[in-house]
Amino acid sequence: MSLRIMPKGALKAWVTRLQSRQFKVVGPKSLHGQYIFDEITDPNDLVLDYPTSVLPPKKFLLPPRETLFRFNARTMESHAEITVEPLIIFGVHTCDMHAIALLDKVHNTGYADQHYKAHRAATYLVSIECLKPCMEGSFCKSMGTLTVPEAFDLHLTDLGSDYAVDVGSEKGEELLEGFSSVWEPTESDYERVNNVMAAKWPHFSYRLECDVTELPDLLSISQKSPLWDELGERCLACGMCTKVCPTCYCFDVTDEIDLNLEKGERVRTWDSCQIEKFAVVAGGHNFRSSRALRQRHRFMRKGKYQYEAFGLMGCVGCGRCAAACLVHITPVDTFNELYRMRQSAKAVPQPQIKEPQP
Amino acid sequence: MTTQTLPRIAFFEFTSCEGCQLTVVDTLQAHPELLNVVEIVQFREAMSERGEDYQIAFVEGSCTRPHDETRLKEIRQQAKIVVALGACAHLGGINAIRNRQPLEEVRQYVYGDKADWFDTYVARPIEAVITVDAVIPGCPIDRNEFAMAVSHLLQGRMPNIPDYPLCIECKLMENVCMFQRGKACLGPITRSGCGAICPAYGDGCEGCRGLIPKPNIESLKQVLREHGMSEEEIDAKMTMFLTYQKMRLEEKR
Repeated sequence: MSLRIMPKGALKAWVTRLQSRQFKVVGPKSLHGQYIFDEITDPNDLVLDYPTSVLPPKKFLLPPRETLFRFNARTMESHAEITVEPLIIFGVHTCDMHAIALLDKVHNTGYADQHYKAHRAATYLVSIECLKPCMEGSFCKSMGTLTVPEAFDLHLTDLGSDYAVDVGSEKGEELLEGFSSVWEPTESDYERVNNVMAAKWPHFSYRLECDVTELPDLLSISQKSPLWDELGERCLACGMCTKVCPTCYCFDVTDEIDLNLEKGERVRTWDSCQIEKFAVVAGGHNFRSSRALRQRHRFMRKGKYQYEAFGLMGCVGCGRCAAACLVHITPVDTFNELYRMRQSAKAVPQPQIKEPQP
Repeated sequence: MTTQTLPRIAFFEFTSCEGCQLTVVDTLQAHPELLNVVEIVQFREAMSERGEDYQIAFVEGSCTRPHDETRLKEIRQQAKIVVALGACAHLGGINAIRNRQPLEEVRQYVYGDKADWFDTYVARPIEAVITVDAVIPGCPIDRNEFAMAVSHLLQGRMPNIPDYPLCIECKLMENVCMFQRGKACLGPITRSGCGAICPAYGDGCEGCRGLIPKPNIESLKQVLREHGMSEEEIDAKMTMFLTYQKMRLEEKR
């Protein structure tokens, strides 16, 4: 919508002001040498030039554990529980913004998810431009997630002494309301923004050996790849990749009742397609009983299924799963290995590839 | 609900430290309403009465002597539901460490010249002797999980004990991975549900809640090697609580 300039020195006063306006402010802060998204009570704790966080900011929109409704098992009365509060998430990286754009689409398609929608409506997203690669496993430039999607309310760019503040929505405008330490950009401010944006680009490398648009097709012809068995051998099925993923949203639902068997709640908790029981159905059959099948499913979702269903990639290249994995299974290596296998298959006479029937 | 209709429960112990029963006492303090929903007829750790008319038996401890088997079978005969309480009853517990040594030497080491007086043999989980309906794992058990398990039994459901690995729970708490801290951890092969209490306080998981279904032990061994552990250290790490389960897996192979 429009651009403003805010001196970096004004950030703390702005955060304090937002808190006094009854907003809950969360953002990256340091904990035992890593960064986590957590409530900012002291503005000094907010670290905007952090590398990455353990869990993505998704945890505020889709809490790891959430009560859906409460019931009385005696009277059979029930009522939905949707508890939200005005929340500002500071310092969301562009990859995580792309992930939120996907989550928005998923949870508003078909039967919209009322809990997600309520959290999302109460949430203000203040994203930040990434100026240097954050960690070894990230490959955002290849995935096309190095620029911010439209989902932001405010988007900050570090200009050295100031932040460029891109206002993306009326909600964003609301956050700046009455705060005097922001001003309209001058010609030279626009020039500064352009210089920073131009300078950052070469710092990031393209790490995928194919184009991101080739991934869905590459995965389609890789259903029977021997790579899945190799990954299955190594995979610990610990599920960490899915816990740290900004786009995973699968959940389990359980009923919890107190000891008097009267008051209860229906709770949803994050699930994981990597654990043994995920695809077990009534009668005990497991549709994905091997680790190889579960890893294949995971990468199919990230590089193909999500794209086909929602038009957006299921992997945003954040690199968290690569950093968490103890046996070095990473999306960039997996996609590249599949691509290499196809390339070398092309060099010899082409075998007939049978597409699996839908 | 009248007193007559309350389910009658009893607690028993075999070879163990009785720490799990202490945790039950602790649970009663956190959830005093438990006393309104069940009738405890036998609980040596907490009361003098010894009723034998129980429907649910919570059994702590492992089977380590021939006459434990007789008592376990009596309990099974009486109880509609038998619940293994804690790592000793569930996995054989730390008592099973001895299973890899010659028993005669073990007896000598522990009892000296009185070794002949004791007929102790391999330590086994109670499911090796009787059918067990449910398990509350851990060393000791988790009090909230115990309360949840009782609630489920009262509803006529089996306790919903997690069977996914500890890493899931630990990562949700945003703990620093033990491997990043240069420590060995059995989290990837161990059942979750303890609130990742050891990693949260800076120690690697020892596996007290037992193996997940189909654990990838070989791959975890490779991870431990990559983090500088020798074969001996790796075996030692997997000995504390997992000896019985690992020996069973080795037999199957």
